[in-house]
Amino acid sequence: MKVLLILFVIFINFRGAVLTRPVFAISGTVDITGTVPGCGDGVIQTGESCDGSNLNSQTCSSQGFSGGTLTCNANCTFNTSQCTTAPPPPSGGGGGGGFIAPPSETAAVFSGRAYPKSTVTLLKDAQIAATAIAGSDAAFSMKLSGLSGGNYIFAIYGEDSKGNRSSLLTFPTSVTSGATTYVSGIFIAPTIATDKSEVKRGDNIAIFGQSVPSAEITIAVSSEDEFFGKTAADKSGAYLYNFDTAPLDMGQHFTKSKAARDGAISSFSKAISFMVGTKNIFAQLPTKCPAKADLNGDCRVNLVDFSIAAYWYKRPLSAAFVQKETESLNGDGKINLIDFSIMAFYWTG
Amino acid sequence: MIKNQKLKKYFVMILASSALLFMAAPVFAAEIFYDFEIKEIKVGTEFEIGIFLNTEKENINALEGIVRFPAELLEFKKIRDGNSIINFWIERPRERQGTGDKEQGEVVFSGITPGGYTGTKGLLFSLVFQAKKEGQGTLGIQQAKALLNDGQGTQTQLRVSDFQFSISEQIPGSLSLVPGLKDTEPPESFMPEIASDPDAFEGKRFLVFATQDKGSGISYYEVKETRQRILVFSKWVEAESPYILQDQELRSYVFVKAIDKDGNARIEKISPKNPLRWYENYENWIIVIVGLAAAYAFRKFLWKKYIRA
Repeated sequence: MKVLLILFVIFINFRGAVLTRPVFAISGTVDITGTVPGCGDGVIQTGESCDGSNLNSQTCSSQGFSGGTLTCNANCTFNTSQCTTAPPPPSGGGGGGGFIAPPSETAAVFSGRAYPKSTVTLLKDAQIAATAIAGSDAAFSMKLSGLSGGNYIFAIYGEDSKGNRSSLLTFPTSVTSGATTYVSGIFIAPTIATDKSEVKRGDNIAIFGQSVPSAEITIAVSSEDEFFGKTAADKSGAYLYNFDTAPLDMGQHFTKSKAARDGAISSFSKAISFMVGTKNIFAQLPTKCPAKADLNGDCRVNLVDFSIAAYWYKRPLSAAFVQKETESLNGDGKINLIDFSIMAFYWTG
Repeated sequence: MIKNQKLKKYFVMILASSALLFMAAPVFAAEIFYDFEIKEIKVGTEFEIGIFLNTEKENINALEGIVRFPAELLEFKKIRDGNSIINFWIERPRERQGTGDKEQGEVVFSGITPGGYTGTKGLLFSLVFQAKKEGQGTLGIQQAKALLNDGQGTQTQLRVSDFQFSISEQIPGSLSLVPGLKDTEPPESFMPEIASDPDAFEGKRFLVFATQDKGSGISYYEVKETRQRILVFSKWVEAESPYILQDQELRSYVFVKAIDKDGNARIEKISPKNPLRWYENYENWIIVIVGLAAAYAFRKFLWKKYIRA
């Protein structure tokens, strides 16, 4: 009888504990190793979650804790050691007894800014793991559960309102088993396009794209000297910069852009090329399809394209595939590491 | 005289500084290095050498090379690539007999990291060896190439140093320097995909799949195709991606099993694109026949008993 009574008390306590979970929230922090460029200057740059007293408007609450003080580590990652978790809710009587903590989840949470209402895609080890739609303020957040403890290469890209994709932003991340890893302060580089593929020297070329609303956009145009210009993104994140090509030499040039807002700076966008010549040729509108490496023509560069290229690796190419290799890869008539590197650059997952 | 000596001293200092400056330049090249510090190994000892990449702030997305080691001194045991920064192997690291010097063992590798990797210590893979006999040897990487994530596959400078070691009977210590961690987690979840291309595999439909295992690494994959959902008699077949499908009509469920080196497995499924119609699946006929038989039995035996009662 006594034994039955003890078992009954344990059962009631266990049931109460299960019904009122979560009792303990177990969390970890991102451990970004290596030197972060610009860390310590008080300005949050790519790869930095915070910098000194600049916490990028983040708090313990936004990091998944119930309260406490969030600080910044010397390597510009969040220090959540002074954050607190919620106390266990009252068990509703019964008192005493033991509690078996539920097995904690291994997960990663990604948050940052892309483009308003844009689709943000998260790749886990180069395969699509999650997508999210950014808010009208360009902020996004997504959680990835069911991970194992170990090293991952996470990558993120955004797709603007015209379907133009940003370059891949990669995060080699060490995930701790049984903890949630937070990667915050992600700032996806702006998208970029030009209105002309060739511009008559002295005419203007329009450089445009999308970023965070009201961001300050820096445009770089490469020449013997690099030219920089600044413009502001509007409320929808769209920006436009008319660049006078008079100072540029005849020939091929490249342009790229980056965005800054609230002390955070994105990395540079991918560089796109245009010619300075004797006539104006209007560029094709940006398409959703990658410019290169899409071997099966499905507007994605992923494991399927990799497999097709791997089929021809170190083999003589068929006549049909030679043409495809010329159009989509480096055009040297063979498949080797260079072609796979091009594929890795245009990867969409 | 003193003035001359002073001038000579300044000249030597300037020359030394210039030389240092000149020699410092290649430090900024990317580097492949090893994390095994022990240079003297006892005969019979098993040890693991991790091969790492330091990109020196460059963004590198493709790598290849050949690890060469003296096969008469080292017995190759296994490769671990569980936590590799390489997402897709073009040539998964594997041992092969030396193409030139037959006494040299070789491990060939090439792979890519989509989006590129920038970091100071990215694991490529680890090699586990056993020291066979006394002697001195060198393990090195040859024909190593690293390409930048710039959309053009530009080759970047890459430094590779050799790992020199000596094997002796006289060294005290353990006979195993391999961390014995037991992996209990299955490989990562993944999404196999069916594709076709007129320029590959004679236009046949093929299956692609890839995943990673963060513990012991992926050992192998198996594939099973079946048109049935319940009575599955088809067997698992060991397979590699890409795998040409047996059922080119896409009427089968396709299962892909990833098994890690400690035997943990994860199974993913693709539903058929053109599933069997209900009357084409014999499972449904079995259900109908069993149902009819049950109804008949009920009517014949139970219902009569009920009426009589």
